[in-house]
Amino acid sequence: MPLGEAGGRLLAPDGFKIFRHTATPRYTHSHMSTAQAVRRARLQSMMAWQASAAPPDQLAIKDLRAYPLREPDSGRSFTMLRVESVNGLIGWGECGAAIPPSEMVAAKLVLVGLAANSYEVAWRRLTAAPALRPAIDMALLDIAAQQSKAPVYQLLGGPTRTKCRAYVPLEGPAALERTQQAGHKAFGVPAPPNEWRNAGKPYVDKATALMQMMRRAAGPGYDFVLDGGGRMTPGDAQSIAAAFEKFHLLCFDEPVVSTNLGAVRKISGESVTPLGFGRTLTTAGGFEDLLREDSVDLLRPSLARHGVSQIKRIAAIAEAYYVAVAPYHDGGPLGTLAGLHLAASIPNFFIQQIPSPASERDRAMRNSLLSEDVEKVSAGFAALPNAAGWGVRVNEAAVERYSQEARG
Amino acid sequence: MQRRHFLSGLALSGAARGAIDCGCAMMPQTQSGPVGADAFGPAGSRARITAVKVFGVSLTPDSDRPYVFVKIETNQPGLVGWGEATLEGKAAATMACVEDFREFLIGHDPMLVEHHWQSMYVHSFYRAGPVMGSAISGIDQALWDIRGKMLGQPIYKLLGGPNDPRGVRGYYHLRAGNKEQRLESREIAKKEGITCFKTGIPGYYEWIETNDKISAAIKSLQELREDMGPELDIGVDFHAKTSPAVASIIIKEIESLNLLFVEEPCPPENVKAMAKIARRTTTPIATGERLVASYSCRELLELGVIDILQCDINHTGGITALWKAAALADASGVSMAPHACEGPIGGLATIHVDAAAPNFLVQEICSGVKPDTKELVWQEWLGFPAMRMTNGRFPLPTKPGLGFDLDEAKFKKYPFGGTKPMARVFHEDGSVAEW
Repeated sequence: MPLGEAGGRLLAPDGFKIFRHTATPRYTHSHMSTAQAVRRARLQSMMAWQASAAPPDQLAIKDLRAYPLREPDSGRSFTMLRVESVNGLIGWGECGAAIPPSEMVAAKLVLVGLAANSYEVAWRRLTAAPALRPAIDMALLDIAAQQSKAPVYQLLGGPTRTKCRAYVPLEGPAALERTQQAGHKAFGVPAPPNEWRNAGKPYVDKATALMQMMRRAAGPGYDFVLDGGGRMTPGDAQSIAAAFEKFHLLCFDEPVVSTNLGAVRKISGESVTPLGFGRTLTTAGGFEDLLREDSVDLLRPSLARHGVSQIKRIAAIAEAYYVAVAPYHDGGPLGTLAGLHLAASIPNFFIQQIPSPASERDRAMRNSLLSEDVEKVSAGFAALPNAAGWGVRVNEAAVERYSQEARG
Repeated sequence: MQRRHFLSGLALSGAARGAIDCGCAMMPQTQSGPVGADAFGPAGSRARITAVKVFGVSLTPDSDRPYVFVKIETNQPGLVGWGEATLEGKAAATMACVEDFREFLIGHDPMLVEHHWQSMYVHSFYRAGPVMGSAISGIDQALWDIRGKMLGQPIYKLLGGPNDPRGVRGYYHLRAGNKEQRLESREIAKKEGITCFKTGIPGYYEWIETNDKISAAIKSLQELREDMGPELDIGVDFHAKTSPAVASIIIKEIESLNLLFVEEPCPPENVKAMAKIARRTTTPIATGERLVASYSCRELLELGVIDILQCDINHTGGITALWKAAALADASGVSMAPHACEGPIGGLATIHVDAAAPNFLVQEICSGVKPDTKELVWQEWLGFPAMRMTNGRFPLPTKPGLGFDLDEAKFKKYPFGGTKPMARVFHEDGSVAEW
């Protein structure tokens, strides 16, 4: 069962059935009442009126090439994608690691000849390339924005802000001091490992001690995200959330696997600690379920899974629930850059996660991929690029070289 | 705050703007940026808004729905944006509300459309009702028009479309009072490739209705389907004339007519009342033309009331808000069939959102299969047959922005006739009826 699709049918308090959302097929009968299923099935055929290809033009997509990349020491892996249009514009995107070759074949079939600025159309047609399409989304936005000689955030209705709040997940023992000196004001701390499941109070004590130590070490004026990594039992997560109420975390992130909405509801019902969820979810419907439970304070859609335009859609849903968005990001610097453009395109952005590996070699690799260090942070904020497209050049030679290393 | 301070504050009025405490519980503590034209620095553009103009345009002196058009001018040569803020029955109020937003805009960067939308909506404190929603809609459309022109693209391309370069599927209103006229419309539709019509349910309805009235309504819809044939899609607008009790009975009995949708089967304020109707039928339920901002769609989607959302780009908050409503609907598997019953600018603006929405179904225009005086005036203004279909679709504009040039001198023939009330309908006993 894919993540985000567990749990079956929910019942609203008054007994109306709330159906779940699936990517394909869109409307399955088991997820809604008969009346709804009949109605929607009828409408679905009407929507086929929309299905026809755009004529090729100067912006038509000509070619795409994927570059698998891996940080040499940490092993963090991601893929950079280069898309070229007929008129010679080059767009870059990023997604997760290990793209099946079949996805490249499927994507080329869909994309070659399609107008590169039809990013929304491309997304809908790329159901056969779910891992690759976030990178395609970004690359097409890059091309569309270059065509308009504007930054991506201006294409998407921004800027909505002048700079982007950032947090860095701490990697390794020296990370706090190093990232503090680099200008970070907010830090992600992984919850301590748990020897046993359902550890109860001893585990809460361990986590509390760790976080108090971190706060003392950081000094005043710094903030924290506690990263549960989806590994805790609902009971432990509840106890932790309750214990940290007065610690004022920015967010207790992914306390449990968010597909168990019952557990999510219970954790949020018993504590005021802000909860973040969503790094593993693959559909907007999964986020909608969390919002409808009124059990989430910060949506964490992954840039590697949703690209930029689809997180913008998720943010529109979140806005109606007065909930903010903080994209999850554990990929490369281009993904970070796309996150900054996204932040400046939506009203309800809160914070962008920016990885910073412990090893100097890994950091050097990240730095070499783009013409500028876009992950640089000053007083807790990353700067907004302002040139056309992503506003920063991709260093193709470095991408090629590191990609060969990653291919081994 | 103590009373004497309040009074001494009054004495200073006019001296220091913003220094006077209103005496209410919360005054903003600080004015923190961004303020001023250059607040966004190099992230913004060099264009600046130099004027916001609002036009009331009455096609006839007694029109209850004068068009309210908004024109935003900039410091860039020839760069202007047009939008529509028409609100039926409340023209003067909406025009005044557009004027109220002047200070939000003059001197600022027109590219920051989401920023301006948020600021107009949030900083108005009292959240948008239809008057403010329509004012924001007109301004938002004009800002998008400018954005498209600045970026050299039609707006649907900025939104990631088009889904279909042939255009967006549309429907006309069925203006047919008898069988002959219905058959004629069906014939024209067949010839012109039109695939869909909408019509209204006849009459006005009390809270509970008589056998005669209900039977007549059902019979009229059955005749409608018979005359129009099985191949055309038909939407029927109940226009909130019916109570949940009456609507439920009628809709149940017309399920076999396979309508595309029944629209506004009861008034829009109480979502659960409409939910009651929806759960008793397989006929798709559509609503949304009276909703402002995406917030107002949440409960309808959450409770599974609707299959089709119909927010109106001239009331809901322009392109920005209609796009967001469509995004919400999409995640719930709900289709979009935006309402459009005002002027040509809003109609054209809607087409851009339609062309990029993956869940778009069909676009309304309140016109008949045969163009009327109104459509000729639109053509005279815009230079092309705006909101007329070709092969059942509204063609997509190809020019940057909304895709037209317009000279306000053309409005001179249609001076603003002032606000006129919309229709007022009463039952046999004199009580107020929905229409």
